[in-house]
Amino acid sequence: MNLNDNPIFLTQKRLVHRAGVLAAVLIAALVGASLLSGLIAYLAAPLDYNFRSSQDAGRMFYGWVIGVEILVLVVGGFSRICNTLANERKAGLWDSNRLTPLQPWQLVTGYWFGSPLREFYMAVVLAGIGLVIVLLGRLSPALWLGTQLLIFSTALFFGLLAVLIGLVAQRPQNGVILFLLFFLLQFPSFTMPKFLLTNFLLPIYGMADLFRDAADTNSADLLESWNGLPNIFGLPVYPILLSLALQLIVGIFLWRAAVRKTASPFQPLFLRWEAIALFAIILLAQHGLIWGLWRGHFSTAADQGRYYDRESILSIVHCGTLFLGTIVLAFSSAQPERMRVKALRLGFKNPGAIFSGSAVSLAFVLAAVAAAVLLTQCALSLADSWEIYLIAVGNLLAFFLVFSLLLEFCRLRFKRRALGFVALWLFVLCVLPFILAGVFSTAAIGKLSLLSPGIVALANPHDDGLNYLLGIVAGHLAIAFLLFLGWQRQWKQLLAKASTIQN
Amino acid sequence: MKFFSTNACICRDGDDNRPMPSPLLVIEHLRVDFPEVVAVNDLSLTVAAGDVCGLIGPNGAGKTTTMRAISGLQECTRGSVKVGGHELASEPDELKRRLGFMPDFCPTYDQLTTTEFLDHFARAYDVPNRAQRIGQCLELTWLTEKRDALCEELSRGMKQRLVLAKTLLPDPEVLLLDEPASGLDPLGRIELRKILLQLRGAGKAVLISSHILTELSGFCNTAAIMERGKLVKCGSIAELGREMGTRKMSVKWRADGDLALEILKGAGVKNLEPSNLGAAFDFDGGTDALDDLLKTLVTRGVRVAEWRGVGDDLEQIFLQSGAKELM
Repeated sequence: MNLNDNPIFLTQKRLVHRAGVLAAVLIAALVGASLLSGLIAYLAAPLDYNFRSSQDAGRMFYGWVIGVEILVLVVGGFSRICNTLANERKAGLWDSNRLTPLQPWQLVTGYWFGSPLREFYMAVVLAGIGLVIVLLGRLSPALWLGTQLLIFSTALFFGLLAVLIGLVAQRPQNGVILFLLFFLLQFPSFTMPKFLLTNFLLPIYGMADLFRDAADTNSADLLESWNGLPNIFGLPVYPILLSLALQLIVGIFLWRAAVRKTASPFQPLFLRWEAIALFAIILLAQHGLIWGLWRGHFSTAADQGRYYDRESILSIVHCGTLFLGTIVLAFSSAQPERMRVKALRLGFKNPGAIFSGSAVSLAFVLAAVAAAVLLTQCALSLADSWEIYLIAVGNLLAFFLVFSLLLEFCRLRFKRRALGFVALWLFVLCVLPFILAGVFSTAAIGKLSLLSPGIVALANPHDDGLNYLLGIVAGHLAIAFLLFLGWQRQWKQLLAKASTIQN
Repeated sequence: MKFFSTNACICRDGDDNRPMPSPLLVIEHLRVDFPEVVAVNDLSLTVAAGDVCGLIGPNGAGKTTTMRAISGLQECTRGSVKVGGHELASEPDELKRRLGFMPDFCPTYDQLTTTEFLDHFARAYDVPNRAQRIGQCLELTWLTEKRDALCEELSRGMKQRLVLAKTLLPDPEVLLLDEPASGLDPLGRIELRKILLQLRGAGKAVLISSHILTELSGFCNTAAIMERGKLVKCGSIAELGREMGTRKMSVKWRADGDLALEILKGAGVKNLEPSNLGAAFDFDGGTDALDDLLKTLVTRGVRVAEWRGVGDDLEQIFLQSGAKELM
């Protein structure tokens, strides 16, 4: 279906044009023209400026142009889509559109491309001025083509994410807050750009690579860590291709989720297999990126001092795994009310059926996937590093179990107040030990945190306290078991209530 | 028609001599669960072509939830909904083409003109001869003069009419109208009544909800009364009236008041309240007995000027249905 035949797109276009695009486009043009005039001024009187060459000046001014372009198209577009969808849901227009014979994918496409049109026009103007800067600065047109490709693919990727957030968020600003949080979390990864996946999902390394290629060959101002091609399990990959592939793969999952949620808002965001596949793909790609550091000899290779400065990477990846797993579990966790309705519909009273449908079983699967992927780092040195591996895997399992059980337990027990109680217990289990460790100046208390064992073991593989960490993991698993008992009791009560209502 | 104690209802009068038209809307054992409450409980209802069925009930009875469940906006715990023979669960696309739902609020794109708003939905429904059809719908809802006005400039009543126009745009077989007259002025309500009678004449099946009974009387030929998610009574207005037993009646005469009062007393009416040239009373008998009473008055020489039930039929039916606890 042509976009111009899509009523949602046409209406969004009408609304954007009615609200006015000229002023926005002129602002973009003025920003671009200011940067262009800076380059022209340099070319007219090169000695008045500190640039080494026209290429150097061109790169600097073009860098500013794409910075503004990213801000407008990626951040602005994301925010626009989120707001539009959340507002139309609130106004009832989303439901009105859903009741038409339009297919769910047509609705998604209409909002995805239609609502950020103003930002698109602004980006096109900036891209045009950027091309002029690239040509005047005698830079390679490949720089312009590559960066524009990455900007637009990233805008599409985050646009799709915005559609999804707009479909589930209660308040439009929630999406923007999540987006900014993601950006803030991104900054620490700049210290090891080639090894962390977020630098490719957001095509930061790809952009840097294109700028480096466009730089003078003898330029020494780029950090060593931003040099060279990334490797996936030892195979060098062009960063631009890696970014595009990652965005495409994750984007396919987001697209499926958005279309499914549009077709029926009562369905889960991700099907179980999708959640597992997405988790596995992201994890595999991440471990593929750092595989070259140890080549399956984790901890022994570090022992030889070859990668001493990078040994914390695996603990950072472990931390990211915990974070990603938490997100997947949160989106896959069964809403008690939905499970109760399902129980009523199917007439089952078997807690086993609840277990298979809940996030608890998924926690086991995610931990197993994470364990299998982590094995790629230490498969060839397992005889020496089995304790570390065991602690890391145990930590992943304990964390995923505790989180999923806690979330469902609190939803069952506290209903609308559930999130507050989940936050409280996560604070107690994860953060409080660190605070107490600081207060009493005892690092051992900090290791009691639910986050600690895996991170500590992977960051300090030759620490003497591995047995202590193993004990802590066992303690965390015991907490998970206690939570499981409470969780089971709550479900039984809910199902008993459901069968009473049914009768 | 019989009242089904199984909470099932076919909204059709047993005395209706018209051939039974095909049922366009069939709801069977519909149940919708909300946390802590069963919003709709085992509701079965059939609305045939040419019927306008009033879904009556106090606030919180489950009328809106029923309509949202029929249209697919609300997940059903169980039960089935068929529109024109197409099942909601298995053929949602077919159902969408045959069903028009007007919600109890007015979702409009404020920055579009009324014509653009209708054009949006005409495209979405792939309506042939869009411009012509939009013109017809605007005319039908008295909005032709506002065809170039922005939606945000319309009053609430006008927005209500615009959303009604949007609902009528694809010419659906079944219409679900949730509190359609709540924002309309008296003139608007009269127009709405005309539109609904036209739809009834055109063979559409209309399910219309309201808790204001005067809105519904005059164009509903059937009614379904809901309370706490359950269907309390259902059937044609005439039949429901017969089921009620006691009716409040009003009679006026030009002369011979004493004779009239004597006849009424003799007929065993209750709560007889004489007034100037008339009286009000409660009558326990059925429609035939009531007809006989009128006949007696006339044949014995009372010059009857007016003979009617007090209040709307629907109001009486509702008040006597037992569904008043939440009012």
